Amino acid sequence: MGDVFSNLGLGFGVVFQLVQWTPAFLGGVSIPIPVNILLCLIGALVGTLVGVLPGIGTIATVAMLLPITFGLPPVGALIMLAGIYYGAQYGGSTTSILVNIPGEAGSVVTALDGFQMAKQGRAGPALAIAAMGSFFAGCVATVLIAVLGAPLTKLALAFGPAEYFSLMVLGLIFAVVLAKGSVLKAIAMIVFGLLLSMVGSDIETGASRMAFNIPELADGLGFATLAMGLFGFAEIIRNLDAGGETDRQLVQQKVTGLMPTRKDLKDCTPAILRGTALGSILGILPGGGAVIASFAAYTMEKKISKNPERFGRGAIEGVAAPESANNAAAQTSFIPLLTLGIPPNAVMALMVGAMTIHGIVPGPQVMQKQPELVWGMIASMWVGNLMLLIINLPLVGIWVRLLRVPYRLMFPSIVVFCAIGIYSVNNAPTDVMLAGAFGLLGYWLIKHDFEPAPLLLGMVLGPLMEENLRRALLISRGDWTVFATRPVSAVLMAIAAFLLVLAVLPSLRKKRDEVFVESEN
Amino acid sequence: MSETPSHGPVKYIMPKWIRGPQDFVGGVALIAIALFALWASSDLQGMRGFSFGAGTAPRMFGFLLLGLGIAVMIVGLVTDGEHITTYAWRGPLFVSLAILSFAFMIRPMGLIFSAFTSFVISALGTPETRWGQTIIVGICLTAFCSFLFPYALGLPLQMLPKFMIR
Repeated sequence: MGDVFSNLGLGFGVVFQLVQWTPAFLGGVSIPIPVNILLCLIGALVGTLVGVLPGIGTIATVAMLLPITFGLPPVGALIMLAGIYYGAQYGGSTTSILVNIPGEAGSVVTALDGFQMAKQGRAGPALAIAAMGSFFAGCVATVLIAVLGAPLTKLALAFGPAEYFSLMVLGLIFAVVLAKGSVLKAIAMIVFGLLLSMVGSDIETGASRMAFNIPELADGLGFATLAMGLFGFAEIIRNLDAGGETDRQLVQQKVTGLMPTRKDLKDCTPAILRGTALGSILGILPGGGAVIASFAAYTMEKKISKNPERFGRGAIEGVAAPESANNAAAQTSFIPLLTLGIPPNAVMALMVGAMTIHGIVPGPQVMQKQPELVWGMIASMWVGNLMLLIINLPLVGIWVRLLRVPYRLMFPSIVVFCAIGIYSVNNAPTDVMLAGAFGLLGYWLIKHDFEPAPLLLGMVLGPLMEENLRRALLISRGDWTVFATRPVSAVLMAIAAFLLVLAVLPSLRKKRDEVFVESEN
Repeated sequence: MSETPSHGPVKYIMPKWIRGPQDFVGGVALIAIALFALWASSDLQGMRGFSFGAGTAPRMFGFLLLGLGIAVMIVGLVTDGEHITTYAWRGPLFVSLAILSFAFMIRPMGLIFSAFTSFVISALGTPETRWGQTIIVGICLTAFCSFLFPYALGLPLQMLPKFMIR
């Protein structure tokens, strides 16, 4: 336990670090600035903004802001990107409750009961409970990361290449099984991503692979380029053909009486606890993350409630549970990334991209070699959650006003912003064109109901998987049974196979889809 | 985030015996991608004894994708599925044009001109554009980006056209 505290202490030290800023115009006078706190605040605010605005997803934003963080120190960059992710969970709930527009996929279910509460004039308590639930979940998740971090890292360090490869396979299978849509198509997307990651020069032999002597491809496809094309540009194109402005009829009533009543608190405390627990578990599992956590938490509350008919008519548990769950999951999904170096979902894949760009190879060794990076990020999450709790409620009015910005003005801004961002990574116009091409590819994928998120996971894990596969087979002298004969690897592979079979079984597939249909009716 | 917009089905270009055209076409495209990747990596060295050559992994994933593509195609053949939805042309066209124009203009013309031009071109992507507003917002955004990237973030971007710098 002592370890946990000293580690968190180190983390908070990093977060509250002051940097002396000596601007030229002050004539040599230096001002101490808490850079990391500021970055955390900016990240959380941008995240909230993204969560509020429908039409820009979290993945797209993190991708868009990747180039901006290149100039920052790695700790600051990661703190800011993490802030965007959990900030978006807060922001999404605000618009779900006030105007019935979930700005974020994770808060779709919050709209069911939250908006009903707002209609009954109880928007204040709904917002307060959502914020409090999220904050509680955020605290629990931070502690959980701190407690689980060290032991999981030790475990992962004992892994050889065969175990590591099996672990990645298991992670990818999990990601597929827990995601929405067809399992087969999701696996196809992973393999497509793996194939795209092969472009460029081979790490071991240096041979140029599938680059067609195009100099810009010699280093491989840029990660930021792919992500921005697939998520930024593709989402814009898709939104444009969804036609006309979405009707944004706002309920313009004043939010009065923020404080929930004693009965509200009593009703939702168990819901927050259950939501946090469920969200934490689903977040740790690869493929989990905020979306499925909120759906699952809502479904569970409805199932165990004594009077389920209240749900959909303004039940406060229906706001408390999914909001705690999505925030818990958003944060615990950092656990596999920080301890094992395996991104469990697309946003975490982008974090891997950010780490690689800063020269950090993700994996268990990060926690040992750069403890200030990992613990600083973990501590920043708690600080960020606290800031969100304090600033979010007073700012509700501004967020709602922002919803009035029409999409016809927003999307050209995003296009230009993305284009400049991609160009600034390598100063290469070809990267901008490639991102455009990936945008069209992404549009095509959406049209054919292929999820782009697994593709991104495959792209990130590709080089790691190849390297470990190579090493595993080299050590075993070309014997493929090594994955089944080494016990840990065999167990991991068996779980992966078992999950895959489960996912294809019709009865289970129906259950899985059931969790997702809640939003549609 | 992931629901596809449902427009009416496209007028039948697919024969009736294909029961899920969306998956069928998706599968065929995956097969094409896989074949292309297999062809592109065919000049790379394969296994040398126990160790992987440069071409082993790409070929492995290529064959895997080929198999999955065939599976998706078969699913599209034998099970009832979605029709292919209509593709809009206006959004994709102008957004692509805006991206292309930025890529071609940034080197010779500098950030200010290329950002504004591509803003205006992408605004053509929707019929709802009101030009007065668009131009004002375009100018503001260009000004914001011209401050953010070179000054606040310190990225070496050229602001003005080459011929004006001299």
